[in-house]
Amino acid sequence: MFSAPESMPLDMPTFHAEISLPYTLTPGRAAGTFLAEMKNKRIVGSRMANGDIVAPAQDFSASDGEPMTNFVEAPQTGEITAFTRVDGNIIAFIRLDGCSNQFPHRILDQLDNVKIGARVKAEWEDGVEQSILAIKGFVLAPDAEVGTVRALDEVEEAIGSLPYSMALQYEHAYGPYYGRMFDEIKGFGRVMGVRGSSNDDALLPPREIDDITHKPTGTWKTCADTGTIRGCSIINMEFIGQTLKPPYVYAEIVLDGASTRLIHFIEIDDVEYAKKNIGPGTRVRAIWTQGERKGSMADIERFEVIDE
Amino acid sequence: MALGKVAIVGTAQTELRPVWGEAQHIDLISAVVRSVFKGTGFSIDDVDFVIDSGSDVLDGRSISNCGFLGALGAHHKEEARVEADGIWALQYGVNKIRSGASSVGLIVAYSKPSESMVENYWASQVEPFYQRPVGFSQRAAAGIQAQRYLADRGRSVRDLAEFAARRWADAKANARVQIDDLPDAEAVLASSESALPLTQLMMSRPVDGAIAMLIVDEASARRAGNNPVFITGMGSGTDSHAYADRDPLKLTSLEAAAAMAARAAGWSAKEADIVELSAPSVVGEMLAIEILGLDEGKAAVNRSGGALPADPIMATGLCRAVEAVRQLREPQLYDGGSPSRALVHGTQGVGMQNNCVMTLEV
Repeated sequence: MFSAPESMPLDMPTFHAEISLPYTLTPGRAAGTFLAEMKNKRIVGSRMANGDIVAPAQDFSASDGEPMTNFVEAPQTGEITAFTRVDGNIIAFIRLDGCSNQFPHRILDQLDNVKIGARVKAEWEDGVEQSILAIKGFVLAPDAEVGTVRALDEVEEAIGSLPYSMALQYEHAYGPYYGRMFDEIKGFGRVMGVRGSSNDDALLPPREIDDITHKPTGTWKTCADTGTIRGCSIINMEFIGQTLKPPYVYAEIVLDGASTRLIHFIEIDDVEYAKKNIGPGTRVRAIWTQGERKGSMADIERFEVIDE
Repeated sequence: MALGKVAIVGTAQTELRPVWGEAQHIDLISAVVRSVFKGTGFSIDDVDFVIDSGSDVLDGRSISNCGFLGALGAHHKEEARVEADGIWALQYGVNKIRSGASSVGLIVAYSKPSESMVENYWASQVEPFYQRPVGFSQRAAAGIQAQRYLADRGRSVRDLAEFAARRWADAKANARVQIDDLPDAEAVLASSESALPLTQLMMSRPVDGAIAMLIVDEASARRAGNNPVFITGMGSGTDSHAYADRDPLKLTSLEAAAAMAARAAGWSAKEADIVELSAPSVVGEMLAIEILGLDEGKAAVNRSGGALPADPIMATGLCRAVEAVRQLREPQLYDGGSPSRALVHGTQGVGMQNNCVMTLEV
């Protein structure tokens, strides 16, 4: 057994985080047209240079990479070519009549009735636009006539972009080093790091390996909650992810007794004052939050300039 | 033209666990990067470059490698991230050394899927207009593949369960994988449905862990403190992004990757003594065995259990290489004999879209 992390584990809960980003997706011409036509309950396909009909529409052929030549209207009937069930939903590959490709969609029926080769037809969901889910799914239609691909002279203008969002949830482990650091902040209101492999100054956050020497770090050490700004920027505009309302100073602070920079904030009322009085070399002190500490860097509310 | 010689001289791996709850990524990475030099005669100072594999989506931070550089031993060194399974990081590293630009490289792959929702990781990989909204993802692809495979090959779900149970037992016996309750075939069949006809235990189990590997050029390998394992062939291939567009009963990109590696090595998969395969499901692994023409009676296939009992997503393929190195170097720990050839495989993408194969020799 190669070594596991060598420090004693701490019984820490995980740290919950969410990344939730807004996107504007660009479907391009084929998918944009397909999605635009959903409100008309038409399934738009592509005729490829080699004569294949592909639905839903694609800009380029998956088999030879050639661009599509023109849009067509695919029939709303076809057959199941494969299926599975995930989380109770039947997902099948469907080949629409007259098309050469298959695509995944939902089957709205009992599993016992679903067979490879079974005939199906599209069932629409009223009120849904700009989404493939305007087709609610496919239902079994044993008697459905074989549909034909039709020419499509006029199509809706392709949707240029679609708003989209994805939220990702995390439960991060603290690990032994961050775990103790946050325990110390919560329990005692002190910032502790570990000494570097060959000097007395502390690394913050603490870690098992000294980055520079790649040797094991030294013993734990309490740093002061005063320090010196070594880099800073006056933030005067708003952007996504901010925790403070501008203006404020983003500062990289070396706490007394540490060798690494801690990122924190300095509140300011006056940008002009900050320009003149806050910069590399300015001495600062931590202002801790009132009340119970949570075990987080946010237990230090902010830093303030020490008037000397 | 045959590959220039690049050797693996050190490997390290944490135990693979469903949840490494008391360790951060950097804790796991630090552990393997510290260990990988043991017995090699090399130190971090000898390392010319570091290449690491991990996933920003699984890690929950962008460019997550930037936060891990110290643990990676990459301070003031050339470092690159490969957002793919670690076997592609190894491929990149081997090519850097073959080019003559460097002589010692450190390859690291890590994974903590326990911190995130693996479903989201897979969903993020599928096309967002036609596929993601209807719920098509990794599990659906595996289910569809399995259903077609069983129908075509006349095999039963019980065959799948017995295969999975065998792999779990092998992992418990031979690999550094945390297994509390060893499932038998009945337990595999009785586990909850994942994607019909596959149950949860017929899918690979995501685990946390980190892997490191030290690779060097031939001249450096001559002064290594232990037996070098040479990488003599590499191949990789990619298939259509849309699973529905692929040949359902083949893994075309694996076939191409294996052929490419065989051309360089001068021998093909069926001539290997040891084979370590990656697959996200039992059927994926069965297909890989078929496509490579493997005879499980002749070659030791996935003696480590493979990816089914332990899939450290993004590190799985590199883990296969580490297992093969161990089996080549220390045959006395296994069935004895004198194995000289191993074939290792990594895969990534929904429904095994991309595949990479390497041949290792002692």
